Amino acid sequence: MFRKFSRVGLLAMTLVMGAMTVADAAGVLSIGRREDSSTFDPINTAQNIDFWVFMNVYDVLVRVDKTGAELVPGLAESWDISTDGLTYTFHLRDAKFSDGSAITSEDAKFSLERVRDDELSLWSDSYKIISDMQTPDPKTLVITLSEQSAPFLSTLAMPATSVISKAGFEAKGQEDYSQNPVASGAFVVKEWLRGDRVILAKNPEFWQADKVSLDGVEWISMPDDNTRMLSVQSGELDAAIYVPFSRVEELKADDKLTVHIEPSTREDHLLMNHEHEPLNNVHVRAAIDYAIDKQSIVDAVTFGQGKVANSFIPAGALYHSDENGARDFDLEKAKAELAEAGVDGISLDYLVNAGNEVDEQVAVLIQQQLAAIGITINLVKMDPSQTWDMLVAGDYDLSMMYWTNDILDPDQKTTFVVGHDVNMNYMTRYNNEKVKQLVAEARLELDSAKRKAMYFEIQKLAKADAHWIDLFYSPFINVTQKGIKNFDQNPLGRFFLEDTVKTAE
Amino acid sequence: MLGRYRFVLFRPFQLLPVMFGISVVTFILVRLIPGDPARVLLGARSTPTALAKIRAQYGLDEPMITQYFYFLKNLVHGEMGRSTLYKIDVLKLIATRIEPTLMLVFFAVLLSLVIAVPLAALSARKQGQWPDHFARIAVTAGLGFPQFWLGVMLIILFAVSLNWLPVSGYGKSFEDKALHLVLPCLTIALSLSSVITRSLRAAMISGLNSDIATAARARGVSENTVFWRHVVPNALVPTINLLAVNIGWLIGGTVVVESVFALPGMGQLLVRGIFSRDYMVVQGVAMVFAVATLLINFLADILTVALDPRVKF
Repeated sequence: MFRKFSRVGLLAMTLVMGAMTVADAAGVLSIGRREDSSTFDPINTAQNIDFWVFMNVYDVLVRVDKTGAELVPGLAESWDISTDGLTYTFHLRDAKFSDGSAITSEDAKFSLERVRDDELSLWSDSYKIISDMQTPDPKTLVITLSEQSAPFLSTLAMPATSVISKAGFEAKGQEDYSQNPVASGAFVVKEWLRGDRVILAKNPEFWQADKVSLDGVEWISMPDDNTRMLSVQSGELDAAIYVPFSRVEELKADDKLTVHIEPSTREDHLLMNHEHEPLNNVHVRAAIDYAIDKQSIVDAVTFGQGKVANSFIPAGALYHSDENGARDFDLEKAKAELAEAGVDGISLDYLVNAGNEVDEQVAVLIQQQLAAIGITINLVKMDPSQTWDMLVAGDYDLSMMYWTNDILDPDQKTTFVVGHDVNMNYMTRYNNEKVKQLVAEARLELDSAKRKAMYFEIQKLAKADAHWIDLFYSPFINVTQKGIKNFDQNPLGRFFLEDTVKTAE
Repeated sequence: MLGRYRFVLFRPFQLLPVMFGISVVTFILVRLIPGDPARVLLGARSTPTALAKIRAQYGLDEPMITQYFYFLKNLVHGEMGRSTLYKIDVLKLIATRIEPTLMLVFFAVLLSLVIAVPLAALSARKQGQWPDHFARIAVTAGLGFPQFWLGVMLIILFAVSLNWLPVSGYGKSFEDKALHLVLPCLTIALSLSSVITRSLRAAMISGLNSDIATAARARGVSENTVFWRHVVPNALVPTINLLAVNIGWLIGGTVVVESVFALPGMGQLLVRGIFSRDYMVVQGVAMVFAVATLLINFLADILTVALDPRVKF
């Protein structure tokens, strides 16, 4: 009995001493995040937790660059667009899958057919516009559209269109491929401990493999924000993403760490239900816009890390306009608008995502700010998974929501927000025929200068209507050890791990 | 033939209706929480087409009663359906998650006993003196600290400041796993041992004042022998039952501790499942936890019968 105890003691001692030596192999980057991936089948997910990992396992025909503002060649070396804007011819470069087989136009076609037609695809709507695909030779893919579409090229940079191996998929089947894919990108899936971590290894067959410095990447799930930050501070992790706003200053002060604040396309906005009185009156909506002090929200809630939003197209994104007539905080003008509306004793139901700290704080701030112009706000706290249904049903007056862009082109968000599409303009029930028509026309306009002017006009009209209230833009905040270089994330969320270098510093 | 152990034969049959009841209750409870799994998965990217597709893929568009029969049918076949969040079979998922939780619970209980038995012994034998006061203050303190707070404090002390132990996660090799388990086990043990110490101390004190102890002392048996031979074994019986009753609480504790320490176990799976309205996962984990609780209570009954010849079921 005692011998056993002393052995346990000895073991414990060696273990403790072992822990004091450095844990990670050189060249493998460990990144802590909130939760684990769910699939590597690109068409079967709409979650960033999946996208952000498999964007480094698969390549796409067309990529978005680091600034998030430009399309650059990916697996397609170049492309030609016919003058009628209906036929796209892609010329593929010499590239191989991780199993050594060549990436052909047949694979690209198969991947696009899956996203358009497969039962599992959550993105089929965006690709219905593809009417035909031809592969005259293994390096050429010809796509024909049923109508002109300015944003089409940028939808080919979507993670859902990642190029997968047709032969590999047919051999493995969907179930296996979605866990153990044949890679076309910088890394392969070496091991996946479900719910814990995804272990990636460098893909030696990747067409830019000589550019990749890391031997591998481990995406480790650590749901608790405190634990994740402490793990970086203790040196156990090389990097952590989703740094809470409240921790930024503390981490910046740590001289072993670098805090990366990268622009994102995230915008938080306040929805207003245009079908409910008195929000159907533009003067009431404008009064609310004037009465909300967005800067104080940015300061209090994002600890100054965010920026006041002035348009639904985020700052830095394509065709964002600063001259759309955004309303600065002004109580006098707010009161004047209310007087013009001629209604008083306004009382509104504000739908809050219960348990979401930022949401609840903003709600309380807005409640106080609107009290200054005599508007009473009743906070209705609901579980986040229920609020969406209430927005769809119109059971709300005000509610804060957010949006992040998936593609570089403004068409996706514009259609969703003011395009009078299937979702009642992000549940606001906003209605303006002129805007509706402009959005449809802008989608077809292939001249970029004209298109830009149209989007500027749309932003101006929507702002004049106070279709919703733009609150703030917030960045991606990540933290790494000082020795990690080029840990970059573009505004659409893609990590450029093929460029990341781990040094001993 | 089996004498006092006859209940071992019948008890499993009594468990069947209990399990059926649990399956109904978990099935209904998880669906009573407002929310929609498809909507959680899609977030702001919800479109009517995508929502409909997800609902169809996981049979969420079927009537409740049909869904329940699928669930029962799967259970009979030893399956638990597909997770909406992880997109694989729930049983496979649980199989990968069961080890950290088992290890956590086992070593936490062991560590609690290692802390509680000496503390209770000291407290009982020095009743009313300063070691007793110290032990009782420690117990009250141990009960007072919430686990999520205690866990973070232990991380800051042992992992960040002293750098002796890893902050979080679960290793690959045995040594690595053992190291990763120290702090989570300690977090649970500090509160669990408080519960055990209190009960043990009370049982030991009544044992020390019992007729058996007095008779033994009268025979000239030394105080140490009286304590370890007569008092402690008798005090252990109620403690085993206390542990068995607390196993539900302990499993609840793993939910918090696994989240704080990023241990990839069943507790964390349950939390993620609930937040994502992943009905299959919540049902599956709840069933496993329920079976575990039943089994442990069953084992505790067997152990009680073995330790105490007076007990009959």
